[in-house]
Amino acid sequence: MNLRRIGAVAWKEWRETIRDRMFVLLAFLLPVSWMLVFGYGLVQDVEDIPFAVVDHDHTSLSRDYVYRFIGSRYFSFHGYIPGEKEADALLQRGKIRVAIIVPEKFEEQLLRAQSVGIQTLIDGTFPLRTDIVKGYVIAINGAFTSERLVAYLSHRRGISVEEADVLAHPVKVEVRYLYNEEVRSTWSMVPALVMFTLMVSSPLLTALGIVREKETGSIYNIYSSTVTRFEFLAGKLLPYVAISSVNAGILWLIGTQWFEVPFKGSLPFFLAASVVFVLSSTGIGLLVSLLVRTQIAALVITMVASMLPTILFSGLIVPVSSLSRGSQFQAHLFPGMYFTNIVRGTFLKGVGVEVLWPDICALALYALVLRSVGYKLFTKRPRS
Amino acid sequence: MKPARPLSQRLIVWMRRLMVMTRKELLQLSRDIPIGLLLVYSFTVAVYVTGNGIRSQLHNASLLVLDNDHSFSSRELIHKFRDPFFRLEGEISDPHEGLRLLDRGRAMAVFEIPPRFHEQLVTGQPTAVQLLVDTTNSAQGLSAASYAVRIVSQFEQATVLARLGSADTSPQNFPVVESDHRVWYNPEQNDAWFESISHLLRQITIFSILLPAAALVREKERGTVEQLLVSPLTPFQIMLPKVLAMTVVILFATSVALFGIMKPAFGVPVKGSIVLFFSLTAVFVFSTAGMGLAAATLTRNQAQVGMMTLFVVAPMLLLSGLVAPMEALPPWTRHLMMLSPLRYFIEIANGILLKGSNLSVLWDSVLAMVVLGSGLFAFGVWQFRRQFE
Repeated sequence: MNLRRIGAVAWKEWRETIRDRMFVLLAFLLPVSWMLVFGYGLVQDVEDIPFAVVDHDHTSLSRDYVYRFIGSRYFSFHGYIPGEKEADALLQRGKIRVAIIVPEKFEEQLLRAQSVGIQTLIDGTFPLRTDIVKGYVIAINGAFTSERLVAYLSHRRGISVEEADVLAHPVKVEVRYLYNEEVRSTWSMVPALVMFTLMVSSPLLTALGIVREKETGSIYNIYSSTVTRFEFLAGKLLPYVAISSVNAGILWLIGTQWFEVPFKGSLPFFLAASVVFVLSSTGIGLLVSLLVRTQIAALVITMVASMLPTILFSGLIVPVSSLSRGSQFQAHLFPGMYFTNIVRGTFLKGVGVEVLWPDICALALYALVLRSVGYKLFTKRPRS
Repeated sequence: MKPARPLSQRLIVWMRRLMVMTRKELLQLSRDIPIGLLLVYSFTVAVYVTGNGIRSQLHNASLLVLDNDHSFSSRELIHKFRDPFFRLEGEISDPHEGLRLLDRGRAMAVFEIPPRFHEQLVTGQPTAVQLLVDTTNSAQGLSAASYAVRIVSQFEQATVLARLGSADTSPQNFPVVESDHRVWYNPEQNDAWFESISHLLRQITIFSILLPAAALVREKERGTVEQLLVSPLTPFQIMLPKVLAMTVVILFATSVALFGIMKPAFGVPVKGSIVLFFSLTAVFVFSTAGMGLAAATLTRNQAQVGMMTLFVVAPMLLLSGLVAPMEALPPWTRHLMMLSPLRYFIEIANGILLKGSNLSVLWDSVLAMVVLGSGLFAFGVWQFRRQFE
């Protein structure tokens, strides 16, 4: 091993990369622009769900009930419609997601202290949204019901409203939200986006950079030179690891300064962990680049192999603990999951190496295994 | 000057050139083994794994219980937290242990029942239970809290009505509004339907942008595009076969995924017309391919194409309504995504497969997609011609 030769290869790679002006622009611009676009765009607070009402009762109480939905910021009122048929048509065209059907004698039955049923039709094409909508409907309905019940009890038993309230609601639920006290979607998305951006951009840069050499044929210069396999791979990867590590710092700055996400952990630990992560994610790029000959194949394979598992299995959207067994296994095979633990841990939980050491070890192991496999697969005497 | 040939003959020549070029593209693609393998994987194994594994709703949220009462009521309440929403991870005896396990990400929530819970409940005194939720993933945290509140209030209502009912009247005779939900198009809220369809749409999008774009840039890089340009082919005749060949391949892969995986394994219904679904898929592939080609004409090598498409593909995949519902996105994103053909194709695919919609319902989405697609395609051809003539 000769450090000067590694340096020479790295220097050559660096020159090549920065001379492709677009490549440089994209290498640094892409992570930043993703961070901004997704940081603003991927807010997951479901609001303004369009709904329509079929009111068969037309009484002040039915209007009061519907008004609870109109006044809520979670729903946006599309209008009253005459019947179920119109509700069907609107649901099918995606103009509304919910239809509320108030039955006849709604007011009459409630005033006679009888229970009544309200039917809601919910569009089920997007299960997550359906679930959230159901939750909102139940909450609004529950508030209405409990008011009626309290009013009824206080009237019936001749007690004050407060006493009736205790009678009707003996159990209070105190919910404490930890780590993200105001439950801001941005706070939970932005740290995960640091992971997503690094996870997709760094393997891609690496794979393209190496395959470029194969495709242009300049790799034959390497084959015939005195540079050893190890020196070539080390020198080749150095610029990409450096670029991605710098990006990790830039993304951290955007997260904390621009999106004002709190960073409760230790910055040196975060940066060190990022370098370990970058070492393992560029390893994926290295592996892909050794298996394929064309840049297009490298591109498509890296994208499919890094982007989709990251969207699906890294904890970005769905926590790993909620996945099925098979998918959990897959999740553990990709480095994204471990780094998600690290970014969310350092940003929001304020934990450090004492808690996150298993994740660091996993990433280091990952980097090591990928490097060794890459080293084994790379040969200066290619077949054909 | 040559006499002009009759129209029918020119048309035959035109079609023949198209056929020959399409065949060339297909051959070239079939010899690229890594891409072939990837296509097979993406439209079979990946669709199955995603449909089988991803649960977007709260599912199996791991819950720790701190029961300070150990009574009949506390146990009854705890047992209401169960599948599919919660998974009881175990009991703890020390509040600090709960916090520590939350720190480590071993549990998502800790549910605490106070001492004398049963006693207070029976004697009609107010009491309070506590829930600690990890909200590092805000959507899931909120969802867990809302389910927990729902479970407790059901428990509460049952006990209250039972107690009051015995003193007053029968439990039905209270002025309560029962909320009855009917979920349409996916009555069981089967995640596998949604996730497998979404995944199929993601794969179609990625491949239909990347394959034609890469094919075009590869010719530019290798210089074979010069050969094509000196041939009697027009720029349109060079670009169209590339898109055509990829469309054929993608449609075939889609049918494999739909009829080989999604229908038999998950029972995804095909309520509408299958012919309509495939024709509109073809239109979608054309639209997105036009986008890829436009990107390809602006770049010189494949590495650049890759980076360019990443600017377009990733936002399209994440913001068009497959990962987060459209209603969850801020208004500017919703407006921006009017430019994404995928946004319309999601409406169309879900409409045909799940809702059984036909053209009379979907016409506006189809129109938007066609207008966008032909615009992008025309832009690509125009760029291409400008570069080489």
